[in-house]
Amino acid sequence: MTAMPAENTPRGLAVHWPLAAFTVAAVLVPTLLSGNRYLAFVAGMTLLHILWATGMNLLYGYTGLMPLMFAGLAGISAYFVVNLTSIGWSFWLALPVGTLAASVAGTILGLPSLRLKGFYFTLCSLVIQTVITLGFVYFASITNGDTGISQIPRPSIPGGGELTGLGYEIVIAVMAAIGIAVLMLIVRSPFGRRLAAIREDDGLAETLGINVTYQKLAAFFIGSLYAGVGGALYAPYIGFISPRSFDVLISMNIWLMVAFGGRGTIWGPVFGAMLLAPIPFLLQDYYTVKDILYGVLIIAVTILMPGGLASGFRRKVPKAAVAQDIPARRLDPRRAA
Amino acid sequence: MSNANLIILLSTLSTGLILGAIFALVAAGVTIVYGSIWMPNAANGQFFVLAALFGWTMTVGWGLSPWVAALLVIGLSVPLSYILEILLIRRFYDVPNRNISYFVLSLGITQILAGIYAITYGRWSDQFQLPPLVGGITLIGPFPIANNRLMVLAIALAILAALFILLRFHRYGRALRAVFQNREAATLRGVNVRAIYSLSFILGNAVIFAGGVLFALAYSFDLTVAWTMAITAFAIMIIGGPGSVLGAVVVGMVFGFTQAIVSIFASPTIAAFSYLGAMLLILLFKPSGVFAR
Amino acid sequence: MSDVLLDVRSLSKRFGGVVALRSIDLTQYSGETLGMIGPNGSGKTTFVNCITGHLKPNSGSVGFSGRAITARKPFELARVGLTRTYQAVRIFGELTVAENIAIAMVDAVDPVSPERYAELADWLRIAHRFQTQAGSLSLDEQRRLELMMRLVQQPKLIMLDEPVGGLSSSEVRAMIALLAELKAHSTIFIIEHTMKVIRELADKVVVLLAGEKLAEGAPAEILADQRVIDRYLGGGDA
Ligand SMILES: Nc1ncnc2c1ncn2[C@@H]1O[C@H](COP(=O)(O)OP(=O)(O)O)[C@@H](O)[C@H]1O
Ligand SMILES: [Mg+2]
Repeated sequence: MTAMPAENTPRGLAVHWPLAAFTVAAVLVPTLLSGNRYLAFVAGMTLLHILWATGMNLLYGYTGLMPLMFAGLAGISAYFVVNLTSIGWSFWLALPVGTLAASVAGTILGLPSLRLKGFYFTLCSLVIQTVITLGFVYFASITNGDTGISQIPRPSIPGGGELTGLGYEIVIAVMAAIGIAVLMLIVRSPFGRRLAAIREDDGLAETLGINVTYQKLAAFFIGSLYAGVGGALYAPYIGFISPRSFDVLISMNIWLMVAFGGRGTIWGPVFGAMLLAPIPFLLQDYYTVKDILYGVLIIAVTILMPGGLASGFRRKVPKAAVAQDIPARRLDPRRAA
Repeated sequence: MSNANLIILLSTLSTGLILGAIFALVAAGVTIVYGSIWMPNAANGQFFVLAALFGWTMTVGWGLSPWVAALLVIGLSVPLSYILEILLIRRFYDVPNRNISYFVLSLGITQILAGIYAITYGRWSDQFQLPPLVGGITLIGPFPIANNRLMVLAIALAILAALFILLRFHRYGRALRAVFQNREAATLRGVNVRAIYSLSFILGNAVIFAGGVLFALAYSFDLTVAWTMAITAFAIMIIGGPGSVLGAVVVGMVFGFTQAIVSIFASPTIAAFSYLGAMLLILLFKPSGVFAR
Repeated sequence: MSDVLLDVRSLSKRFGGVVALRSIDLTQYSGETLGMIGPNGSGKTTFVNCITGHLKPNSGSVGFSGRAITARKPFELARVGLTRTYQAVRIFGELTVAENIAIAMVDAVDPVSPERYAELADWLRIAHRFQTQAGSLSLDEQRRLELMMRLVQQPKLIMLDEPVGGLSSSEVRAMIALLAELKAHSTIFIIEHTMKVIRELADKVVVLLAGEKLAEGAPAEILADQRVIDRYLGGGDA
């Protein structure tokens, strides 16, 4: 028992069965469903949300920040991709550029997290999301305003021709699997340990030698990559985007997938996305019922199962008297105990 | 000054006053709830629209007089808030980080109400207009103003004044302010903190409902006003200082005038950008707000 | 044994109108255990906060191991070997003991060897608690975990803010015994508001009163100092 703790020797990903099983299933499900294009499309959308939820999980579950501008970042990437491909760029070049744009934006917009915690950061991110949405409406020359951009062409493939539906779903499946693998590697790495420290008590983390500023921004950069890749893939896949595609409700939906599945676990948010993402597509005409259902789930998660599905209905043990949230008037990030 | 300019000036002034008074009401409601129970109620905009929609149903649907409808709507907020308080809000009173839980909870309520409006009222109409409280117009110099709007303004200001008197002079108001300042000390001095919490939740929502029904009596509205109002009320609360009713009223008035002025010279989007920008700056650099207690 | 480790020159700190520290000078040598006493509110914690980068002093300078470190960030100071604990114990309560220690090692410039790690865990009697959630430990165990999290970094100086606060008298004795052993190979700065711990451990004592340095010297001298007796010990606080 007195040896170094076991976590110090991270296992490789070489034979990670759950991940392998997920990857096979992610490719197989759309393939099997491809007889029914609509159901295959729902599977593709679900995989896309798994990718998003995994990125949100890095920020919310593992770093302890609730970034309600997540969908806005995805939107930045999507608008980049749509505009770049419309002036003749290849989708495969526009995707990394759009993703990078989202990441740079996410890192800059993550700066308030250096000063604000808990509710105040979340409120700030909500304001930022609202500003981004207003921006999407306002800069109509790029975004076509509230009307949105429709008939976004599918990516072409190197051999000539367009990416087929099934081909697209496989691309998304592979991206989702890579996203989960990256998160696993992060969680087991020293970087993951630093993020856990920041989530629990960033002041103490700093005292222990962790460069909190740098680590938080790194988390935002990487988390926004997920938003960006997802946004870039989303636009040509669904063929239509508007400011509504990336508004605060979408951020909340992705957040709910993470919270409902179980934040801070690898597979919880994946299950959360699997269960919740298909709902609006399957409801079809009763689409708006989704808002009510999601709203009820948000309340249920908050009240009944703060740990999400992953920890069932157990109420979380209250935190030791460490990180009390601070009322606004004492909000001084450098205040030491 | 030419007549045209004077009319623009007076119209800006009257719109600014009415909007300001309504913003002040809603923000005061939000700040009372936040200052006491630490609940940042993101659903305030949905409550606001709920009041407006109830007012519309009672007048246009049932043919009640707008006076009766306004009173009924405000009265109705009391049992509704109380039920909500018992079902959901109470559970978190002892949780240390409850403001974030409350925030998420209120976003859930927002989504439910928005969904309900979309499948009910949203199917009937996209603009809602209530009959006026009083008819006729008054001429102020060359400028005609509807008596109805003057009446709405007078009622809004009267409610604000009553709120101030309540908070300043009534036993409940003093207890509430003691809780704002220091919960533990208030408990030690024998204040029943839980009772104050319930009362504050009910009072705060009643004031928001009053704002909603008065807004509907003065202007026609649509369902999107909910989110705009929610964000605006938060901006006012943060800038005015969370928990400061005076701050909410002063900043609410300023926002009302800003809105009125900016909408003449530029698009409302610019007004929204400026609120949100101001709110971000305050959040980052002076999170206790301009009117810190 | 005689290098200057911590060198504080006319350090001052105000909070609005309140002067919390008034031009404090202080020198601590490597290997020397320095005790700082003073009644509650005299500025001891503020002094540590100003040195470890948790607060910015209004004026004055801090040197550590020959470097100017005034107002450097806490994480940079941890990396040059200056660390501290908090008056109210501060650990990652939701994580296990092992995770807490792993976090303390993640950015340690000179982490302990595995053998030393095991030795420390045994010595601090937390080895059997590795898989326990840190928040469910007793306060006494939490204090020892806190110490472990500093010692795995092999700091040059550990500043302890009231390390026996809230402990029972038998736990206090045990902690004093631990610190007495620790001072053989680490340089320690201890804050206490009573003489008890300081008298047994410190080589040199600094008395702080209302933000000013009232006296400085060996524990015996301080206990005999008439000014200290009159203005502080006279209050029956010792
Ligand atoms: N962050 C702060 N803001 C305002 N005043 C403070 C702050 N920290 C400490 N003080 C004040 O500085 C003085 C010294 O406090 P402190 O250093 O905590 O004393 P000690 O640790 O000796 O008990 C006290 O009057 C305290 O109220
Ligand atoms: Mg102290």
